[in-house]
Amino acid sequence: MIVAERKPIRRVLEAIEPYQRVLVLGCRGCVAICSAGGDREVETMAAALRLARKRAGRPLETGEATLIRQCDPEYLAPLREWADKYEAVVSMACGVGVNLIADLFPEIRVYPGVDTTFYGANTALGEWQEKCRGCGDCILDLTGGLCPIARCAKNLLNGPCGGSQGGRCEIRPEVPCVWHQIYERLSARGELDRLMNFFPAKDWRPAGHGGPRDRIREDLKMDK
Amino acid sequence: MEPRSHLHRVLSEGHFAVTAEIGPPKSADGEVVRKKARLIKGYVDAANITDCQTAIVRMSSIASAVLVMAEGVEPVIQMTCRDRNRIGIQADLLGAAALGVKNLLCITGDHQKFGNHPEAKGVFDLDSIQLLDMVRRMRDEGKFMCGEDLTGARPEFFLGAAANPFADPFEFRVKRLAKKIAAGAEFIQTQIVYNVERFRKFMEMARDMGLTEKAYILAGITPPKSFGMARYMKYFVPGLDVPDEILKRMKEAKDKREEGINLAVEIIQQVREIPGVAGVHIMAIEWEEAVPEIVKRAGLHPRPLEAEVRPAVVVEVEKPVERVEVVAPPAEEVPEEAPPRVEIPVEAVKEVFSTVRSSIESLREGVNLLHDSLARLERALLGGEVVPAEAPEVPRVEVKVEERPPVEEKPVEAKEVPEEKEVAEEKKVEEKRVEEEKPAEEVEARVEEKPAEEEKPEEKPAVEVREEKPVEKPPVEEKPAPPAEGVEIGSFSGEYRPLSERAAGLPEDLYKEPGTAFIREVEIGKGEKAFKVGGTNVLPFHLFEGEMRHEPRVAMEILDVKPENWPESLARYFADVLDDPAAWARKCVETYGAEALCIYLMGTDPNYLNLDAKHAREVVEKVAGAVDVPLIVWGSGHAEKDVEVLREVAEVVGDRGAVIGPVEEANHRTLGATAMGYGLPVVASSPIDVNLAKQLNILLENVGVALDKILMDPSIGALGYGLEYTYSVMERIRLAALYAQDDKLQVPFICNVGREVWKAKEAGLPSDETMGDQEVRGVLMEAITSVALALAGGDLFIMRHPKAIELTKLIIKELMQQN
Repeated sequence: MIVAERKPIRRVLEAIEPYQRVLVLGCRGCVAICSAGGDREVETMAAALRLARKRAGRPLETGEATLIRQCDPEYLAPLREWADKYEAVVSMACGVGVNLIADLFPEIRVYPGVDTTFYGANTALGEWQEKCRGCGDCILDLTGGLCPIARCAKNLLNGPCGGSQGGRCEIRPEVPCVWHQIYERLSARGELDRLMNFFPAKDWRPAGHGGPRDRIREDLKMDK
Repeated sequence: MEPRSHLHRVLSEGHFAVTAEIGPPKSADGEVVRKKARLIKGYVDAANITDCQTAIVRMSSIASAVLVMAEGVEPVIQMTCRDRNRIGIQADLLGAAALGVKNLLCITGDHQKFGNHPEAKGVFDLDSIQLLDMVRRMRDEGKFMCGEDLTGARPEFFLGAAANPFADPFEFRVKRLAKKIAAGAEFIQTQIVYNVERFRKFMEMARDMGLTEKAYILAGITPPKSFGMARYMKYFVPGLDVPDEILKRMKEAKDKREEGINLAVEIIQQVREIPGVAGVHIMAIEWEEAVPEIVKRAGLHPRPLEAEVRPAVVVEVEKPVERVEVVAPPAEEVPEEAPPRVEIPVEAVKEVFSTVRSSIESLREGVNLLHDSLARLERALLGGEVVPAEAPEVPRVEVKVEERPPVEEKPVEAKEVPEEKEVAEEKKVEEKRVEEEKPAEEVEARVEEKPAEEEKPEEKPAVEVREEKPVEKPPVEEKPAPPAEGVEIGSFSGEYRPLSERAAGLPEDLYKEPGTAFIREVEIGKGEKAFKVGGTNVLPFHLFEGEMRHEPRVAMEILDVKPENWPESLARYFADVLDDPAAWARKCVETYGAEALCIYLMGTDPNYLNLDAKHAREVVEKVAGAVDVPLIVWGSGHAEKDVEVLREVAEVVGDRGAVIGPVEEANHRTLGATAMGYGLPVVASSPIDVNLAKQLNILLENVGVALDKILMDPSIGALGYGLEYTYSVMERIRLAALYAQDDKLQVPFICNVGREVWKAKEAGLPSDETMGDQEVRGVLMEAITSVALALAGGDLFIMRHPKAIELTKLIIKELMQQN
């Protein structure tokens, strides 16, 4: 899922400073799952904003709504009606939601309520870890399913650097060295030969270094 | 093949090669580099020039190399993958070759996290092996990485790479070395060797793979300058292996520097004996002056071949003295002194950090997973008192530095040795970050969650609960046998973390909103066992933002006549005393620890037994004589009859400060007068409604009953019989009292829970599969009702079942523990 965390309240307050009526808009997708922008967090954010503004002597009216997704125009449709009632929208969705609202509704002032952090897995209660970087050219078939692009601080492709000790990364001792893990995984499977192959330099274009990425499926398009 | 460089020639002719490291300055002062070059000239075959080692910005490796060449020393430039992408690297290497650089060491580079710009974007477009492959193909195939032809002169580098025999996984290290050699590495410089045995093993594996035939391996050598440095390298530099013997020798040595040089010389002699070792690479960190001495003592001086270094461009650098004469300088600029002037503060800062570092060591040790138990033992034996021993050395450092050719810059680090200072700083940053990362959870949500979590245990039949999560929830377990042990109640586990901690990052004023007034404090009973209820200015258990002076209390209920319709699961706890109110009262207090009693004069109800006031008086007298806890006398609820009964009773309990009630609108004048007469608190009962409750309080106040003599009875509903409605009304009353300045509602709540719960049909249905065990069911119904109402603001609860009371009190106690 896309993992996000609530922006510092002060930052949100600064963004909506000029307004009296603000819609706090949640998303029931990834951000709800990672407890950053679902119904509950919308309620909290709205309450915190109201409270802060009340303290500041400039009461704020908030609306609260949570859409099924903010990354699909059809789910964003109700915004068109709501827009008149509010001066600004604080989107609790990931950056995708904020962007799509900005794209579809140029007249709506939309501000982010969360910081979108990474693609991750929920590894323990209250804990998420980055597992993928969306580099667009998956090599997990070669690395025992463990990603050195997302999980190695140097994105190394030819094995662990000299900072790998006791299975730990030099960056932070609590971070496992993913190359150590790959080595052990492939050793156990008797597939160590794979690591002896020279891994050529990576094409970073699919990773986003070739500009914004898109995906088009002609067969699914309606407007021919 | 014609050797590509002087270093290559030395190695290819079979001489034992010596290289040393030169770290460029953190300034544009080329003289620093030149002086370092002069210092080691004639003692080394080539000098490595680091490329922003440990990710600290310094003069570039290539530019420094040109300066070094001007002094007649052959440079080995370094190129890391951290700072340039494939375009920048290829361009710079073409330039370096054009300037006459002949040796190139290809490394991945220390992560920017360890440097002085940890916020920088690390490039890592390539890794070191891909870099080697790229440069080899530029040189041998005349192709850029993209495959395009490189027309004209090619960069004819003698290609080197680094290897760390001491990093993990050990077995893979030689294999990775093989990959580097296959990619193009012709010489290898290793991480600092202290553990010669492990290095020997590494070399053996390298020989087995035929690697020593394909590349020249130079062993990394660093003379420890002090015990502190040796210890630092052992514990804080990832991928460095310092045996205890080295530490011991450094600790015991009188002359630390002498011992450091001895160690370096010994290690050189040992590695020289290992087949396949083609030379040494000396990294004298912060201590370039030691290089000539080490080379001499190791018998490696003079060098077999004289370098013919001819830079493509002759660099003429004006002597600082001359420059100053020409450029009429500002008065304070005294060129000769300038380098030491820079030097002294740097040293001083280093010492500060070394002190900080030693105190951080113990902190870090706890978390550092890299340290094995041997390392901890080592520290326990050698750590501690050594730091002062190092201190006297400090002034000497400064003096020496001033006397020598100014070695301006900071430690010339081994490739993967982070500077001590940086590490210390990093540690701090790290700790700070950890603090910041502490859950900045949604405050309000959490506050609400806390009670909700703790309520959970009751929502399931206890037996199941225990099976699922025996530790976390207070299990209530049914045992068939003796009544007193019928239901067992566990306890809470886990520790409360203050909200301020969980809300780190959220300003306090955003989540704290204490009420503007306090609920009145009403005293129940008199004397030693008396207690007060009320006295809060926040919503229940919001202890993070205000005060609850008194915790919610429970009074145990007894009847004036033997109950007829109590379920067996409740009645059996009192079977022996049900027809004797005094004995019953004693049992409640002595066996079940009741802190107050409520005598329900049910028998006086005109619609039931219609017993007279005299009966009531006798019962209350007996009970009052039997126990000394505060009493509540609760009439039948028949407005007229209660006036008569309670007037009689008040005479008996007048000096006990007992609570009497219920007072309704219909009898508030007469009962109000009675209460005032004896100074007793009253229970003001109103049909569940905010306005009716307020109205009755006003009426009582008009009669003369003070608000701090009133307990509000909102007429609660049990679980399944209107609990949520009760909750909502009580909550609204409390909000009005605390946040809307409604002073007529600033009165504690009394909740008559037991009667409502145990008259519910579900409390008395027999045990079966659908409804579960009868007793557990009843206990949970009563406890859930009470706890839910405590969360709505209930201050005093009248309850019946001992186990329900125990469970309720346990939960209240835990909720009160927040501060």
